[in-house]
Amino acid sequence: MSQQSAFSSPGFDFSNSVRNNFLQEKGMPLPKATSTGTTIVGCLFKDGIILGADTRATEGEIIADKNCEKIHYITESIRCCGAGTAADTEFTTATISSNMELHSLSTGRKPRVVTVMTMLKQYLFQYQGHIGAALVLGGVDSTGPHLFTIHPHGSTDKLPYVTMGSGSLAAMAVFESSWKPNMERSDALALVSAAVSAGIFNDLGSGSNVDACIITATQTEMLRNFVKPNERVEKERHYTFRRGTTAWKSENIRDLIVNEDITLVGATGDAMDTS
Amino acid sequence: MNSILQRYSGSNAGGLSKSTIDEDNDFSDAMWGSEAGFGTLAKGVPGFVVPSVPDPAAFLRLHTDDHADPSCRIKIQHGTTTLAFRFQGGVIVAVDSRATAGSYVASGTVKKVIEINPYLLGTMAGGAADCQYWETYLGMHCRLHELRNRERISVSAASKYLSNLVYSYKGMGLSMGTMICGWDKTGPAVFYVDSDGTRLKGDLFSVGSGSTFAYGVLDQGYRWDLTDEEAQELGRRSIYAAGHRDAFSGNTCNLYHVKEDGWKFIGNYDITKLHYEGPGDVAGSPGHGYGYDMRVEGRSSANPPEAPAQA
Amino acid sequence: MSIMEYNGGSVIAMVGKDCVAIASDLRLGSQALGISSNFQRIFPVTDRVYVGLPGLATDVTTLRERFRYRVNMYTIKEEREIEPETFAHLVSSTLYQHRFGPYFIEPVMAGLSKTPSGGFKPFIAATDLIGCLNFAKDFVVAGTASAKLFGVAEGLWEPDLEAEDLFETISQTLLNAVDRDAYSGWGAIVHVITKDKIITRTLKGRMD
Repeated sequence: MSQQSAFSSPGFDFSNSVRNNFLQEKGMPLPKATSTGTTIVGCLFKDGIILGADTRATEGEIIADKNCEKIHYITESIRCCGAGTAADTEFTTATISSNMELHSLSTGRKPRVVTVMTMLKQYLFQYQGHIGAALVLGGVDSTGPHLFTIHPHGSTDKLPYVTMGSGSLAAMAVFESSWKPNMERSDALALVSAAVSAGIFNDLGSGSNVDACIITATQTEMLRNFVKPNERVEKERHYTFRRGTTAWKSENIRDLIVNEDITLVGATGDAMDTS
Repeated sequence: MNSILQRYSGSNAGGLSKSTIDEDNDFSDAMWGSEAGFGTLAKGVPGFVVPSVPDPAAFLRLHTDDHADPSCRIKIQHGTTTLAFRFQGGVIVAVDSRATAGSYVASGTVKKVIEINPYLLGTMAGGAADCQYWETYLGMHCRLHELRNRERISVSAASKYLSNLVYSYKGMGLSMGTMICGWDKTGPAVFYVDSDGTRLKGDLFSVGSGSTFAYGVLDQGYRWDLTDEEAQELGRRSIYAAGHRDAFSGNTCNLYHVKEDGWKFIGNYDITKLHYEGPGDVAGSPGHGYGYDMRVEGRSSANPPEAPAQA
Repeated sequence: MSIMEYNGGSVIAMVGKDCVAIASDLRLGSQALGISSNFQRIFPVTDRVYVGLPGLATDVTTLRERFRYRVNMYTIKEEREIEPETFAHLVSSTLYQHRFGPYFIEPVMAGLSKTPSGGFKPFIAATDLIGCLNFAKDFVVAGTASAKLFGVAEGLWEPDLEAEDLFETISQTLLNAVDRDAYSGWGAIVHVITKDKIITRTLKGRMD
């Protein structure tokens, strides 16, 4: 079978571009996509890497998702935090994750962080910044722990502690004042948590909970909602409406349970003569 | 009486003289309680404090939403339906009550008919503040006219006064589209006045984003010899049509009838209620809802009769 | 004037106890002018999955057909009905494929997914116009009244509502939110999906 896909050719589809450009020229602005005005961080410690992220997704001034996941899976021992256009970070990391799986299958080795970093930067550079993904990539491979930042245009950095997103300044302030080489696991986790919290409380684009991910040579620990400093208090009274409050005009009930009434043919329902 | 008249006789209507500025502090005793916040009336028409730059309008634009959207001046209530028409039995004035800010319905209970005095009504479209302020102000001058001339001002004169006044501010950002309605010696009268300075006499006007829908019903049902009941129903039905079709009009309809002895408030009607049930037990009511669905109900399989309300 | 506001319309989905509900208004407009008060924006995907497509009306039709095609292909290839989670990813990838020339639609999905034990679990999700998925545990909203829906739903929603109570909550949320939105309204429709039936009701809403 030589056909590529039953659905459509792979890659982006530009078929709506002519229409959309026409509309834009008519003075209709393109709508905003969900973005993660984010705080994402990562730092080295004694045994490996800790990544951290907040969990707020925004659409303009509206909080679209109060508890989204920004630490994306790449491989078992490599993870990637995403900031910027939410759909872009989601799909870029998923694509690279998929490619890394195939890569490790074909080479028979565990993927290296630099390989992921190179694939990501080449992918983003190819799209000249139009894919708005700002990433913090961290992991441990055969050459040890590595931590990178990757910008939407494809430039990268390799540093012992990094921050990205709109809350990066708040988070970096924490790292700059307290990070030390060869920190203990618990200290490093507390530092990452403090850095993300700085973003959550001081940056309007970041908020809700702290996610963290500890990657060491032996295991990866995903700490989803590690700290929940913004738990909604339970309502003390309720707004349940009395049944029948809403006036409706017509009703249709589709029954998913098929009832079959079996009517036996033949007076007595004797067993069939099979002789 | 004459001394009071004298005090006010020096007014220069529509003037924008420099002297009107900065004189709010000069109060005489007689002024307290007599001017309802209209500034130094004795010195003429109160003027806006205009920035002392060559082009005040351009200056203003820098400090409003204009630069983002040139078609939007300051805070303008552009979504509206108002109508007024003249007939054998007087003048019918009907308006909706919705105020929008962008797509947000800011209010559903706006009074868009301004009761200038017992014989004159003004309608509100465009800038709510502009209409309210200047039509109330017009009311004061109509009263002064009565005191001076010992007779009521004609609708024509009142509307011309307003027209001249807004014309003097032309190009400076005033926004109003109004109908001045009333009854004078000549009988029922309707004048259309807007902030461009247009002033038109006519039998039938509708102003606002929903005016086309209102005109559709109005033109179809209008006759000079309409009875009072028919005329009121026509006004209601026209505002309903606009409230239904136009996104920026709706909520309720306010209906007024001007007769020889002054205006009378006929009623406030919920547009949705008009749709489903009609105006209820009032003169001219058709006895059923205005809505399309209500009129075709049960006539075809696509419009089966409404199910009786839920269990 | 945004393209997303050209035709108006809003959709909301909510989770209840062993049930989900999805509702939308029925207005199709051309900017301020109302065109239809019976515009279908919510479509059944399978027996237990519904999708709502608020946004530009031309894309509602296009995407509806596109999803129908891809769901049919899935059903034929896999020889089973699509699960709501899978369908959400199908929607997401279809939209992201058009990342640089998007459809002006923000889909909302609601359904019941099968659990390994044979039961059903409520599922709702929404995406933005380029396919960023949002799996919420309470409610999702989209459309011209989304800001208003967020506010009302945040106040009215509570966990573990029975199907009939969920119907009242989602109906009141939608009705009151669209009454504050000029581009949404003109009637409403609600679907409540439970494990053994789907209740569809058209509501008596404001007609202005």
